[in-house]
Amino acid sequence: MPDGSTDTRSLAALVQPGRVHRRVYTDPEIFELEMARLFGRSWLYVGHASQVPSPGDFITTELGRQPVILIRHQDGTIRVLLNRCTHRGVKLLAERSGNRPRLVCLYHGWTYDTDGALARVPIDEGCAPGFRTCDFNLATAARTGTYRGFVFASLAPEGGGLPTFDEWIAPMRRNIDDIVDRAPAGEIALDVGVHRYRFRGNWKMQVENVIDSYHVPFSHASTVNRKGVQFSRREGDAEGAKVVDGQRTAASWKRRRGHDVGHGHGWTSNTELDEGSRSSPAWNEYRQALDAAVGRERAEQILTPRMHNSMLYPNASFMGLNMHIRVIRPLAVDLTEVNVYPIRLVGAPEAINVRNTRLLNVTHAAASFVQSDDIEAFARQQAGLASRQGDWVDISRGLDADEPGDEPGTRCAPSTGELLVRAQFRAWLDLMREA
Amino acid sequence: MDVPAATRGIGREACERFVIDEARLLDDRRLRDWLALFTDDGAYWVPAEPNQPTPHGRVSLFYDDRELMGNRIERLEHPLIHVQTPPSRTVHLVGSITLEPMRTEPWLPAADLLVQSSVMMAECRLDAQRLFAARQWHWLRVVDGRLRIVLKRVDLVDCDAAFEAIALPI
Ligand code: FES
Ligand SMILES: [Fe+2]
Repeated sequence: MPDGSTDTRSLAALVQPGRVHRRVYTDPEIFELEMARLFGRSWLYVGHASQVPSPGDFITTELGRQPVILIRHQDGTIRVLLNRCTHRGVKLLAERSGNRPRLVCLYHGWTYDTDGALARVPIDEGCAPGFRTCDFNLATAARTGTYRGFVFASLAPEGGGLPTFDEWIAPMRRNIDDIVDRAPAGEIALDVGVHRYRFRGNWKMQVENVIDSYHVPFSHASTVNRKGVQFSRREGDAEGAKVVDGQRTAASWKRRRGHDVGHGHGWTSNTELDEGSRSSPAWNEYRQALDAAVGRERAEQILTPRMHNSMLYPNASFMGLNMHIRVIRPLAVDLTEVNVYPIRLVGAPEAINVRNTRLLNVTHAAASFVQSDDIEAFARQQAGLASRQGDWVDISRGLDADEPGDEPGTRCAPSTGELLVRAQFRAWLDLMREA
Repeated sequence: MDVPAATRGIGREACERFVIDEARLLDDRRLRDWLALFTDDGAYWVPAEPNQPTPHGRVSLFYDDRELMGNRIERLEHPLIHVQTPPSRTVHLVGSITLEPMRTEPWLPAADLLVQSSVMMAECRLDAQRLFAARQWHWLRVVDGRLRIVLKRVDLVDCDAAFEAIALPI
């Protein structure tokens, strides 16, 4: 029986074939270890270039417990700086976004350039002998990587068995391309605002939920009409996906697949929708723009969505159906914030982007029809796990029944099973080991 | 203030009464009656950004036209709406009600009157109570001698905060 200790061997005992110990969701000590080890070492999603278009533009966020600044330097490059003055530790920027030609600490006025270099210390004749400003530049994330405008960072230096950025991002490149290539201009922007919700549950519940096709007919029963069909989510669709048939999960829904592609990443294949009849004035205009940009064949390929939700383990998901990026931010063992950024397709007709943004109000805002019931499920799961009735959480659906995926080394199974949750816990254990 | 012909006989007092009654319908959970207060081209909007200029192309907590309001109410009536099992109870407090000079927006259908007020809604569910505080604006049109809502805009003081699930209109 796993006790309260947190050495590598005790942690390994918490993750068993087909089950995990409830402590991974409820133990504050394990949460602290996750912040130090998992969020302290893994590659993490930080933001997108479109959030900081001009020099001096910044957003602030946290990587685990580490407050950071994503900022565009005067030379046009993007930096990930730690949000802490090197003098006495004051958090430099409090706003969630803004622009600063230089970063000035409110306390004693130390002034940094937008690349973090300490440029000025007021009353410098008072500095200690040998004090050099170059020893007091802002710290930066140990490693950063970008792909198609998305910025990622790791707080741990290379080595120690940690994947390089290329190794980590490689299995998810296609998924990112699938979304970004839908923009006729070949780039997307996250500049229409953010939905922020929080829930009284462990962060892993959201990470597991985005690739869970099992829960939909039950958790989201109130979003399904009498025909078993969900409301339409895409521009030009007459109706949404068939979720329920009579009292049971619809056969087409059960055909959705989950793909385990390594590093804890995973994605689920898309809902079957009627691609042929998709039409509306805005949609047709968009089709023309995309055909002109990438050619008809590639446009068809892009627009027949392969994937529903892609989880970049551990803190971001990309959704292709109602297009958005979701960032998962653990606040405490039982409290999580999620930020949902609707995607704007640059070069698409305005109506397409307006419609996608509007749809996300209904699907992923705190007041949405869909996400609100997930928030309730997470809180109820956290409450249930407080029970001492059983120590184990079952994640055995489809155990040992998976098949090779479409890329070498990947695995695949119905996404109403738990292959991807088990894959996440494999990555979890790997990142939670002692250094 | 110039009073349009249609609004003759409808003064501050009637507007005040209307806004108070509207909130009471929500507290009584008479959502179908609440829906009937809106014009056919009416909308209910809770911005997610302070001073948000438009619901179009920006995120909102709610931006429901009549159809979406209807969908929302159907869902609230659904026996398997988990986030309202058990349901919340609410109480609104509406005050500081004033008639304002008309403000128009290119995307906003024509209205006859603009009423501003402050509103607080306490919501209790299970053992927890939370408070929503907002300034709100009702763009009203007189239809067959009665007031109807063209747009209800609710600007929460914490509109850009991270919320737990919100199931009920404010
Ligand atoms: S703490 Fe920042 S200048 Fe002193
Ligand atoms: Fe869900």
